[in-house]
Amino acid sequence: MVKQVMRRAAGDNEYLHQDFHGALSAGLEYLHEKYGEEAVRRYLWQFARTFYAPLTEAVERRGLVALEEHFREVYSLEGGEVRFVLSEDELRIEVDACPAVTHMRRRGYPVARLYRETTETVNRAICHQTPFAAELLQYDDETGRSIQRFYRSRS
Amino acid sequence: MISCTEFIPAYSELFKFLEAQGGRRAVDDFWKYLADGFLGNLKSAVEQHGLRGCWIYWSHTLNEEAADFTMELDEDAGQFRIILHHCPSKARLIELKHVEPYHDYCRHCDVLYRHVLEPLGYRFTIDRSRCDEAHCTATITAQAGGEEH
Repeated sequence: MVKQVMRRAAGDNEYLHQDFHGALSAGLEYLHEKYGEEAVRRYLWQFARTFYAPLTEAVERRGLVALEEHFREVYSLEGGEVRFVLSEDELRIEVDACPAVTHMRRRGYPVARLYRETTETVNRAICHQTPFAAELLQYDDETGRSIQRFYRSRS
Repeated sequence: MISCTEFIPAYSELFKFLEAQGGRRAVDDFWKYLADGFLGNLKSAVEQHGLRGCWIYWSHTLNEEAADFTMELDEDAGQFRIILHHCPSKARLIELKHVEPYHDYCRHCDVLYRHVLEPLGYRFTIDRSRCDEAHCTATITAQAGGEEH
């Protein structure tokens, strides 16, 4: 049989491997099972405070528009129906179905019991020590449909 | 929402978190859990197609990860090889100036894939000597008496 060879350069494909949502979900479920609920939140908080530090700085400097730009980019890349309502002191994001949850349900990957924390804890961590705060007004575990609110908590 | 394009730093931070909880053993335990629960598609592809299952599995993942790679399948020689000229995961971690990658990040491939493939009768080896340049080579060989189709 002939030897088969496939050669690809990075620029030949778009970087969008949505199965990674399933791997993250598996990690959260593992933490939950092995170390408890608080470990899931502590991990996500630690990750978000580290990784999103430049975004937190941008929120501090430029306000809620920085968050709007960030999430527009994320949802535009991942797909899904999302509405943004931005005023000077408030940003509401209404997501009809979380693209990550949609992908995992379609592919049959288990969705972690605390998957909502990838929104709730992460949003709070991004806003920590800025003049803004975050709250999750609604979240549906089955679809990831949500209403996220960011608002000015101090001047 | 954490985008799938942000997964690699989340993964690396998870390894650090686990190591802080229970040392290297805690990280290895998680990798084995992930291999058992999440790499079922690799396992079933190899069970069904032999070494060609590796080709099928990595054709999907490496292309979606926009990797810079060469993949070779030589069924007569019983060998499958991936040369990652520029690993998209490690490269992303190296590029991030404000996040320190988990010190043993690249070992997860060794543990995960070995854990799936060796019980199926394949030998998994990986040359990680240049992983700090986001370069590695993984070789999967059908062992004598293995389950190659």
